[in-house]
Amino acid sequence: MQQLLTELHQARHEEFKAFAAANVAPAAAEWDRDQRLPREVLAALGERGYLGATIAPEYGGRGWDTVTFGLLSEALGRGSAAFTGVLTVQSMVAMALHKWGSAAQKNQWLPRLASGAALGAIALTEPTGGSDLQAMTTVFRHADGSLRINGIKRWISCAQFADVFLVFGKLDAQPAACLVPREQISIEPIHDLMGFRAAGLAELVFRDAEVPAANLVGKPGFALSHMAPVALQYGRLSTAWSAMGLLRGCFEESVAYAAGRKIDGLGMIRALIARMGTDLKAGALLCHAACRAQDERLPEAFETALMAKYFASRAAVRAASDAVQIRGASGCHGSSPVSRYYRDAKIMEIIEGTTQVHEDILGRLFVG
Amino acid sequence: MDRTEIRQALRDFIQRSMRVPALGDDDDLFESGIVNSLFAVQLMTFVEKKFAVEVAMEDLEIANFRSIDATAGFVLRKNGLHAAAAD
Repeated sequence: MQQLLTELHQARHEEFKAFAAANVAPAAAEWDRDQRLPREVLAALGERGYLGATIAPEYGGRGWDTVTFGLLSEALGRGSAAFTGVLTVQSMVAMALHKWGSAAQKNQWLPRLASGAALGAIALTEPTGGSDLQAMTTVFRHADGSLRINGIKRWISCAQFADVFLVFGKLDAQPAACLVPREQISIEPIHDLMGFRAAGLAELVFRDAEVPAANLVGKPGFALSHMAPVALQYGRLSTAWSAMGLLRGCFEESVAYAAGRKIDGLGMIRALIARMGTDLKAGALLCHAACRAQDERLPEAFETALMAKYFASRAAVRAASDAVQIRGASGCHGSSPVSRYYRDAKIMEIIEGTTQVHEDILGRLFVG
Repeated sequence: MDRTEIRQALRDFIQRSMRVPALGDDDDLFESGIVNSLFAVQLMTFVEKKFAVEVAMEDLEIANFRSIDATAGFVLRKNGLHAAAAD
């Protein structure tokens, strides 16, 4: 893929990889074990401008192209998929606001999201159904110039430390979205996930939570057809690239392990590594194509991002499984990074739309 | 582009993307099921790119995108071509 990247892309990718090698990878196992991300490392993401990667410079962001955003997700994903979730979610909130927020909402939140002064989270999933967004039961109600919110959201990434939430619900039976500050929500951390253990998941309970009516984002009726897809587009691109970073970790760990072993079964190990190396290249090309389509604002950007996330997350699961297999018993122990890769990779098949949701959407696209 | 050219570009895109054999200028894209949640944003992106307009929050009205003709009218209005939009 190197030949598809500009010199600037390559230089930035090297910068991102150096940041991840120094600040993310060495602590990733500890964060996974402790099920938390230290505030200082989140602050470092903001100080570097990484949280504002896709936000326009007029709002204090970097305004990087989507390819650069993808390379950043890849580099961070090599260190910790859970940590990369912060970038993923921040970009989802920021880009939904970028496209559909009012001038006041953009001026209030985008500079803070870009600098990391505020962290965002996106509240879509509910306890009774993750994939069926139309069935959501969270309700917004007008009340004297305010909105009252009642409902429950679950499995919300970054909710343990987010300052503002883009919450989806129904207003007069129409899909709608609004910004809700942390203070208005009862937040219950969720622990003991198999993977993404440091990603700060929580359950959100809204009991007559009150926000100004001006916090509505976009128009009621279009939250699921136009707003959620913009957010999910960046979520899928970031997750796809993060999965490629995890896959690269599996590949590099496995190659290093094989190089240090003199065993009879090396031929079988070679076969597994061959598949990893091929998936690594194929996935990177697909992810790059999806980002290029996004940068060129092509209509097919959406379906290509679906394909990239679908392919990369499944390839990451395969590679992580094989990386554990190659190491044998030692790969099953918490002291080996590949055991964490295996647990994290599975989560990537579920977030931002499950593998089966992707198959349904793409299948309908291909055969009607 | 005039209204006829815009209509044709829209028809070509929708037919190519959604494999619709025939499509009239006034056929309802939503009631017919042609526009699903993925295609809604694809159509919006096509309109923005092809006709150099920005679909903003205030433009989110079903009436603006209900049919090929309605979408062509929206494009012309956004480009300030009011006279042509009235054709």
